[in-house]
Amino acid sequence: MVSNALGSPTLHMKAEMAVALTGITKRFGAFVANNAIDLAVRRGEIHAIIGENGAGKTTLMNILFGLLQPDEGSIRLNGEETVVTDPAVAIKAGLGMVHQHFKLVPSLSVADNVFLGMEIRRHGLIDHAAQIARTRELSKRFGLQVDPTERVGLLSVGIEQRIEILKVLVRGARTIILDEPTAVLTPQESRELFQTLRSFVAEGMTVIFISHHLEEVMEVSDTVTVLRNGKKVATRPTAELSKDELVRMMVGREVSFDRRPRAPSRGDVVLQVEDLWARDDRRLPALRNVSFTVRSGEVVGIAGVAGNGQTELAEVLSGLRPASHGAARLKGQNLAALSPREIREAGLAHVPGDRMVRGVDRNASIAANMLMGRQHRAPWSSSGVLNWTAISENASRLIKDFDIRAQGPGDAVKRLSGGNIQKVVLAREFTNGADFLLIDQPTRGVDIGAQEAIHDEIMRQRAAGRAILLISVQLDELAALADRILVMFNGRIMGEVAGDGADEDRIGMMMAGVAAPERAAEPA
Amino acid sequence: MEILDKLVNVALIAATLRTTAPILLVALGGSFTTKAGIFNIGLEGQMLAGAFFAVIGSIWTGSAFAGVACGVAAALAFALVFAVLVVSFRANEVVVGLALNILAGGMTISLMKAIFGTRGSIVGHGIVGLPKVQLPGARAVLGSWAPLISGFTPIVYVAFIAVPLLVLFYNRTRLGLYIRVVGEKPEAAEALGISITRVRYTASLLCGLLAGLAGAHLSLGYITMFTENMSSGRGFMAVAILIFSNGDPLKVLWGCLLFGFADAFSLRLQTFGYPSYLVLTVPYVVALTALFALSYRARPKIITETLASMQRLLSTDKNIEPGGKHPS
Repeated sequence: MVSNALGSPTLHMKAEMAVALTGITKRFGAFVANNAIDLAVRRGEIHAIIGENGAGKTTLMNILFGLLQPDEGSIRLNGEETVVTDPAVAIKAGLGMVHQHFKLVPSLSVADNVFLGMEIRRHGLIDHAAQIARTRELSKRFGLQVDPTERVGLLSVGIEQRIEILKVLVRGARTIILDEPTAVLTPQESRELFQTLRSFVAEGMTVIFISHHLEEVMEVSDTVTVLRNGKKVATRPTAELSKDELVRMMVGREVSFDRRPRAPSRGDVVLQVEDLWARDDRRLPALRNVSFTVRSGEVVGIAGVAGNGQTELAEVLSGLRPASHGAARLKGQNLAALSPREIREAGLAHVPGDRMVRGVDRNASIAANMLMGRQHRAPWSSSGVLNWTAISENASRLIKDFDIRAQGPGDAVKRLSGGNIQKVVLAREFTNGADFLLIDQPTRGVDIGAQEAIHDEIMRQRAAGRAILLISVQLDELAALADRILVMFNGRIMGEVAGDGADEDRIGMMMAGVAAPERAAEPA
Repeated sequence: MEILDKLVNVALIAATLRTTAPILLVALGGSFTTKAGIFNIGLEGQMLAGAFFAVIGSIWTGSAFAGVACGVAAALAFALVFAVLVVSFRANEVVVGLALNILAGGMTISLMKAIFGTRGSIVGHGIVGLPKVQLPGARAVLGSWAPLISGFTPIVYVAFIAVPLLVLFYNRTRLGLYIRVVGEKPEAAEALGISITRVRYTASLLCGLLAGLAGAHLSLGYITMFTENMSSGRGFMAVAILIFSNGDPLKVLWGCLLFGFADAFSLRLQTFGYPSYLVLTVPYVVALTALFALSYRARPKIITETLASMQRLLSTDKNIEPGGKHPS
């Protein structure tokens, strides 16, 4: 079993097409998730499947992998007509899938996780040494850096993904499906992943890669298939496509990530951060000597590779983490002396980076989620009794104002898509009258249509004179929205660039911690 | 010093091993269910049923080992009912465990009444206790220390040998690995085609096996009798130890040794004329204190966070800055 863990090449070399789907249709009740989709994936290519959230990408791949059964259509794997009744059939045919949500066991070692379900045994006992050696060999061969002996619970998401890929390889996959693999990765990790994908192709393997990120699709794929509303729009060689064309095919209308026009504005200082230091959960310094100001009517962007102190900065500013030194003042009030609620009442609105953890209660209704943080105030409650009529009316109005696609205020938040959940958070935070908006990764995992709406809303808040701190790992987002961009590396602010005509190379250098160019003079 | 010498000696350590055995066995049994992700509060009932039916079996057959087998079978029956309700029918494990504990308590009392016409305890009636294993040569090699390894009933040896075996089981066997995976990340097990149901049934029955042995040790080990509620909370103590040890066999062993030592120590104290009510609380007080001390370090995040924010509040209240909370 293990000796041919990478599959015998002779078995799969016959057909030119590794995967061919014909006329795949899948309905969920009245909703058509996949509508007569044809898809042909050539052996040895990286084939990207791109589309907005809800375009039917994941459904199609789940059908290919046997997790869902199509209502119509047929599947050919390596040229052979196959009914993929369950994943076991797909795995046997040389398919492997890396899902969006990892299924790893934290207390087990990397090697144990890789071989779980197909352990190498000697005399009836698990042979850990052999599993470790085999994992190490595979990880070297494909540039998937992991330490096979380490416990998975201690590792980052990026490494977890490598383990999932190793799992698939060990099971002999020759065609690897990755569902939104970069959604959880830092830019650096994404680049490493792309190199690994190329090494697969170099060995004659095939990669199917689901994404809604234009850049990475342009960068890594040989062929692109675009899905929209459950239908296939086109399959084209990537080299023949421009980014604009791709966007148009994806959304069916023009979307630009261009810089948003704005009126010049110079308001008073709302947030002043001076020599701020803080520690992370491991008690290591996460913020070092951070100083900056945010004025009303301006958007200050924080750029940086994820994990360089941005999370801790947001937590300190919202009162969720103590500063070890220095001060942050919101309209003159020292935040260290205030509880999170007091900070909010002093004028903070917070759109947290992880909306499912700190942004919403996924099991509660939209109305309840929009109430949170103001439940103790009139008109939402009086004498400790909630006024559900007012709460519900408010929620209905916000659903309309923020164009949230939901059935009504009573809808549970967990039934909404990522973009709509984010709009619920924005609707709540942007309407509580705060002067300072702390916005962390507002468009993470959100489709392009919703991204645009969210950006519009942020610009409206700017025009209304709010002071905005925008933390994002997406440079184009910052370049489109921010007046000034501060770049963070290893807990420090490496430098500042103007948002207008932001120089990506210079930002990239600072994000990598290579150089610390002189900081532009702060507006006094 | 003299008192200390009288208190702490070879006999006390041997007694510790003896009293540790039943709680160790039942806790190791519970380690299977804990690792498999089942909160098994029914250990007490399984142990009690094991103790009762071990006595019945011993009387009927005239053999201590047949008695042990009867006790184990009874505990397995309880474990099976538990598994059917909890694993197959997804009933709440705490409710089912408690119900089975109550059932075991009530059933043993009423069966005692029905069969023997007595309340309280079964003594005599030809109960055959377990033999004591005298290891040949132990006395020659260890001299007066021989009672440390020789002269216990077979179940005591089983209990202590089970610890390294379980370590091996969890680390090196497929079933052991799958039990851990099912408990820790059921969705991973599912994705790999491991049957969660089958693994959890297996874990429950393994648990019943050891709980039954533990019960048999109570009633056929060093005293050959059955009394009402004979397990006297050992099953619950085992549950507590399991929570803090997360079912790891070595940690379970330390927890149980501590409890066994306190138990043996309190028996010793009684002979010195201290009030027995107080003395009887010793093992529980010691165990609880130790568990508290241990778990304080590993306390759940929510408690740590609460404490941290309280500390922060207190410290900021003391030195409010002029420009801070009260700007005027």
